[in-house]
Amino acid sequence: MTHTTTATTPTTAGQAAGHHTAGRRPGTATVLRWETAKLAAQARARYLLLGCLIAPPVIVAVFTGQQPPSDTIYGRHIHASGFADALLILAFAHQWLFPLLASLVAGDIFANEDGHGTWKTILTRSASRGQVFAAKTLTAVAFNLVALVVLAASTIAGSLLIVGTRPLPGLSGQLIPAGTALPLVAAAWATAIPPLLGFTALALLLSVLSQNPTVGVATPVVLGFVMQLLSTLGGLDLARRLLLTTGFEAWHGLFTATRFTGPISQAGAVAAGWTAICLVIGYLALRRRDITGG
Amino acid sequence: MNPIRTRVLGPTAAILAVAAIFAATAGRGGQDITRPRLEHAIAPTFANLYVQRAAILGEHDVTVASIGASATCDRGGPKVPDVGAGPNWICMITFTDDHGQRQEGKFEVQAHADATYVAGGPSKLVGLATITDTHHNDVTNPTFEFDGAFDPDS
Repeated sequence: MTHTTTATTPTTAGQAAGHHTAGRRPGTATVLRWETAKLAAQARARYLLLGCLIAPPVIVAVFTGQQPPSDTIYGRHIHASGFADALLILAFAHQWLFPLLASLVAGDIFANEDGHGTWKTILTRSASRGQVFAAKTLTAVAFNLVALVVLAASTIAGSLLIVGTRPLPGLSGQLIPAGTALPLVAAAWATAIPPLLGFTALALLLSVLSQNPTVGVATPVVLGFVMQLLSTLGGLDLARRLLLTTGFEAWHGLFTATRFTGPISQAGAVAAGWTAICLVIGYLALRRRDITGG
Repeated sequence: MNPIRTRVLGPTAAILAVAAIFAATAGRGGQDITRPRLEHAIAPTFANLYVQRAAILGEHDVTVASIGASATCDRGGPKVPDVGAGPNWICMITFTDDHGQRQEGKFEVQAHADATYVAGGPSKLVGLATITDTHHNDVTNPTFEFDGAFDPDS
């Protein structure tokens, strides 16, 4: 095992130390800057953000000429109010897009070091494995949150500009005026954050364990599908609430006449549990790994 | 430990642990979709939408109070327990229509596992999918088919 040797040998030279004084290990902030720079250089990250920005208005524009997709919640109201379009896209996104969004960067961020054979380079830069793990985790989480914010803002703005701001039909037959609907729709998108972080942690874990970017990216998507499928089955009840994907539909309670937020707080607790377990296992696995073996 | 054994045993143990937790909790903790929850959700929802329908038709003296809607729901006939998601829920909604007549309508309800539902109204009582408003435009009939949600913890 090599993890103690790299951690205890202070570096006195080399680019890794950056502008730190000789003999000191770089701070996690320095490692974070490397990771951010590496991510920013990736074409996939830029295209993902660009897609989050451009795709929603295009989808809304395509919807305007179509029969409403009334088998999905809010589908039947897409011509009535732009707020309904924003919620329909949220409902679509939770079926497959969010797990993909969460894993596209997170599932790759550890495994690409294996793919390129660059673990030794990183760990001889006198940063501890804990620092590398923290920096990579923070980078992936921050990127996924930025992607979600871009997607939400683009969807809401595009829907309201293209379809309009007429009152939103609620889920108790009431009409929600635009002034109330806008913060509610934004809050509905924000409820996707906890399960998205859960999927991010899952992708990070699989990225560490599999050492294979394809597995790290694809497996959370497949698991998302499986959870989605399980959640449509009847009779699961408590088990259903432990699924990560259940949190993506917790926003329904914001749009009834008497609002209920129980599912949102439950989803937060469930996602926190998934996140904690995945990150702890991932960290331990990375610490124990024998990097010298390649 | 042998690295290959670690790489096989770890994920297998994780999958087994998740499956065990899932199996232990499946079906526990009470039903999410129940008859009282559906009844309490669908009757006021229908009343709200019937008021909107009346406003489209230019009937402004119809209010939620004047409709006085109440619902009795059943899933799949007498032999099926009235709980759980499924397309075979029927809700009988009793209400006062826009002519002051007491009516009972049979609504076909699809209850989803996520505590939302889709209800289809009887066109004999609520009209067709589109209705003509006071300006002779065809608009969607809000009571013909509608979505709703209820609190699975209520």
